[in-house]
Amino acid sequence: MSPSTRPRLAAVAAVLLLLLLLSSQPLAEIPRRIRTLEAYGGKELAVRRLGGSGAAFDRRYFSFLENARRRLPRTTTAVLLSGVPEDEAHLYLAAYQLAPLTVDFARPVFEAGHPATGAVIAVYGRQPSESEHAIAVLPEGFLMAGDPP
Amino acid sequence: MSALVFALVRVGGVVLAASAAGWIVARALLPPDRPFRLERLGWAFAVGVALLESFVPLSFLAGARPGGIAFAILAGVCVLASLRLRVPRSRTSPRLETWNSRPAAHLLLSLLVVLGVALYLLRALTEPMWSNDFVAIWGLKGKAIFLSGGMPAERFPGFSHPEYPLGLPFLYAGVAFLTHGWDDHAMALLFPLFQIATLAVAAGWLRRRKASPTVSLLVAAILASFEPLYSAFLTGLAEVPLAFGALLFGTALADAFEPAEAGALRRLALAAAILAATKNEGLFLAAAGCLLGLALGGRRRWKIAAAALPAALLVHLLHRIWRGSLPLRDFDLGLFSLERLLRSLATAAAVVGPLGWIGVLLVVALAVLGARRRDADTLVALAGCAAVVYLLLPAFAVRGPEWMVQTTLTRIAAALAPLAAAGIGLGYARAADGRVA
Repeated sequence: MSPSTRPRLAAVAAVLLLLLLLSSQPLAEIPRRIRTLEAYGGKELAVRRLGGSGAAFDRRYFSFLENARRRLPRTTTAVLLSGVPEDEAHLYLAAYQLAPLTVDFARPVFEAGHPATGAVIAVYGRQPSESEHAIAVLPEGFLMAGDPP
Repeated sequence: MSALVFALVRVGGVVLAASAAGWIVARALLPPDRPFRLERLGWAFAVGVALLESFVPLSFLAGARPGGIAFAILAGVCVLASLRLRVPRSRTSPRLETWNSRPAAHLLLSLLVVLGVALYLLRALTEPMWSNDFVAIWGLKGKAIFLSGGMPAERFPGFSHPEYPLGLPFLYAGVAFLTHGWDDHAMALLFPLFQIATLAVAAGWLRRRKASPTVSLLVAAILASFEPLYSAFLTGLAEVPLAFGALLFGTALADAFEPAEAGALRRLALAAAILAATKNEGLFLAAAGCLLGLALGGRRRWKIAAAALPAALLVHLLHRIWRGSLPLRDFDLGLFSLERLLRSLATAAAVVGPLGWIGVLLVVALAVLGARRRDADTLVALAGCAAVVYLLLPAFAVRGPEWMVQTTLTRIAAALAPLAAAGIGLGYARAADGRVA
């Protein structure tokens, strides 16, 4: 290969690579992103997360977690989730939203024994029955003590 | 948009202040000569990030709540130390070709760099950081540290990988302590700043190593447009910081081979510590760099090895002291078999996809067509070592090779792009005798 051919070939390869990368930029989503910023940028952080991708799998659940976070007693040490689909996405979002509290699904904890002192059960998707003593009633569920006296 | 803008200004102000301290501290890392100026911007950001990461655990150790005073004390100590450890002017400082030698091409490439940064800025800041691994790992730990005002009494849950390094969670917590609030939307600003710092180091290092402005800008434009790394999905995860750390480490390692490169060993040690604090493979890269130094470093090999690995080991040891010895929960060495390795490679070939393969072939062509030189090859070899390990590791994956390749390979391999791009770009720099490949 002649000395002048190598830089020419390299230049062609570099330009092709750049064009390939530019063509793979998700340009079509720009208007949607700008609209999202305009719509949510002025709202409080929790509302921005509620409208975002992180809560898209179950927005009502995020609303439940945020309402639960605001109503948890200050003495809460752990939150046990009841009525929540036992998958990773629901557990991870709860752990993040309720950090630094320990979060787990209620069923395996109760099957293994008693919950820790100060644990609160966050029940999703229904309102308390007459026999359940709710600490707080939320639009999406309710909270009750995990270790009732 | 006022709520977001206000939060962005606060986060930006904290990072700017930390980077300003980093700019001064960088006097102990780089010579003050003009050819180092662009690189120094990136190193200033790196030092700023390192200060933000480290003042949190240091405050805990001192029994204090992390805050502005603790940060100012640490930054002040580092600034004072840098005054005594200032790197002298470089004896090999090159005379550089001016940026305006090909104005039209350079303007176009500069615009493409700006476009790439602007597009990533939009992707990163559209919404609060949301990726699964941010919520379950990096963001969760940072938020728990910040809201606990200390290391949480309960160990991080198993799904959050307690065995991962804490550099990024400490960075999040550090920013939150200094802005007095946890804002996982405004904090996404860190990631376009990591991108800008990466571009500054890549282009600045190439320019200093006598690559033409065209080559330097082309590499920066390619990297800025590299969406597999600078994506909305990876915003909040450790890949973008790791890519930056790997580039810092690779360039410092290549510099360290030169006896006249003042400050290179210090840069190497700092980059190794940053790498080890970011991800577990950071320690591997530091070890690989140490071995490359021993193999290629000639009379400087022991100095290079001593700079490359101990700082990373120290960071790793500090993690071990705090969390104890934890197994890598995704891997089991006993699972390896040739059949699993072949399944891993087959899945990798499929995951890359047709357009990806075209890109890979173009990158290989560029690497082959460039000149062979030790400094360039060092970076490419380092990236190559990591790529080989990334292809091997899925054979040990507990959840199966296919799962590991499909969920992680493209994103962790993408983090090697800046390191490889700088190495390949250097193959087109002017050699000592003035030749260009």
